[in-house]
Amino acid sequence: MRPLTETEQKTVFEKLANYCTDLKSLIAPLDDGDRYVFRLNHSRVYYVRLSVANLATSVSRDALLSLGTCLGKMTKTGKFRLHITALPILSEHARHKIWVKDNGAQPFLYGSNVVKAHVGRWSEDCPEHSGVVVYSMADIPLGFGVTARSTTEARRLDPTGIVCFRQSDCGEYLRDEDTLFAG
Amino acid sequence: MAPTKTIKNKHAANRSGVKNSKAAEKSRNDGVIKSKGKPKGKAHTLVTANKGRPNIQELIARKLKKKTYSEKDLAIPELNTVTPVGVTKPKGKKKGKVFVDDKESMATILAIVQAEKEGQIESKMIKARQMEEIREARRAEAEKKEAERKARLEETKESLRKKRKRSGKSHGGNDDDDSRDVKELASAGTKAVKSKKKKSVSFAAE
Repeated sequence: MRPLTETEQKTVFEKLANYCTDLKSLIAPLDDGDRYVFRLNHSRVYYVRLSVANLATSVSRDALLSLGTCLGKMTKTGKFRLHITALPILSEHARHKIWVKDNGAQPFLYGSNVVKAHVGRWSEDCPEHSGVVVYSMADIPLGFGVTARSTTEARRLDPTGIVCFRQSDCGEYLRDEDTLFAG
Repeated sequence: MAPTKTIKNKHAANRSGVKNSKAAEKSRNDGVIKSKGKPKGKAHTLVTANKGRPNIQELIARKLKKKTYSEKDLAIPELNTVTPVGVTKPKGKKKGKVFVDDKESMATILAIVQAEKEGQIESKMIKARQMEEIREARRAEAEKKEAERKARLEETKESLRKKRKRSGKSHGGNDDDDSRDVKELASAGTKAVKSKKKKSVSFAAE
């Protein structure tokens, strides 16, 4: 387990900035004097309290399975992939949101993109190809994706047209159970 | 051949005590000829031995030390060097990764990234708005053209109607018939096809 290097930190922040507005609150000091830090173990990036990270140094690298919140994985080419486990953090500071109707929640959770017919609400002024967090109508975060059309363009789209490309959904907890936390 | 003389007692040889005496001289050149260089060398080694060992090592090291040439001294073209141009790492730089763990550096990286992203999103929004304006203008233009075309069609229809009325009055034709014809023309458009009578099939009763 080690802290991130400068370039790694930058790529992680860049990815998070696609979905979140207020990144400063992520690293802001907490009331008890603690703060959150980023740690890398087995090419996975964890968002964890500093006190917990310090405690975790007593566990050997191989024995340490996970700590804090797993944000995603650093690829071998130096890119960063967000995992579904980062959803609580993304949904807290989401920049753009899509609410899907109940009839659209299941198809989304099974891994398909969001079509216009399933969209209940959509945050205004959302440009094309920007990160968006998908919620159910009861405001429960289901996953996240990338917009296929801007809000104005999507209004003219036919009901079967795709408005959001899925990146990750809660169904991955079951579908990718074997590879999500290790391997 | 000169006879060799062995001296049993080295110290007793020059017993006379007088420095330039014959005996002393005899004893010095007593037939044994020694090369001039060797004793000197022997003496030198003795002296050095007295001084200590490091000097010998120093001498050996000096002998072994050869002038080494750096690649700069040789002035070889850059492409012919052992290490390719891009691979050489800057000297004096810390080896390994530089971690970002302190709050300040993390905050600076975050601020840079956020400013960059905000700029990108802003430019994207502006672009999208401009594109939307252009699309809106095009749509308005197309609608206008469509309206003009329709107006022209109506005009021609009207002129045709008037023409027919005039010609009907002069020939004394039926007004109802004329209006029916105009209606047919309007529904058929410019490509008017001859109206055919509906075909009917009758079956013979058995």
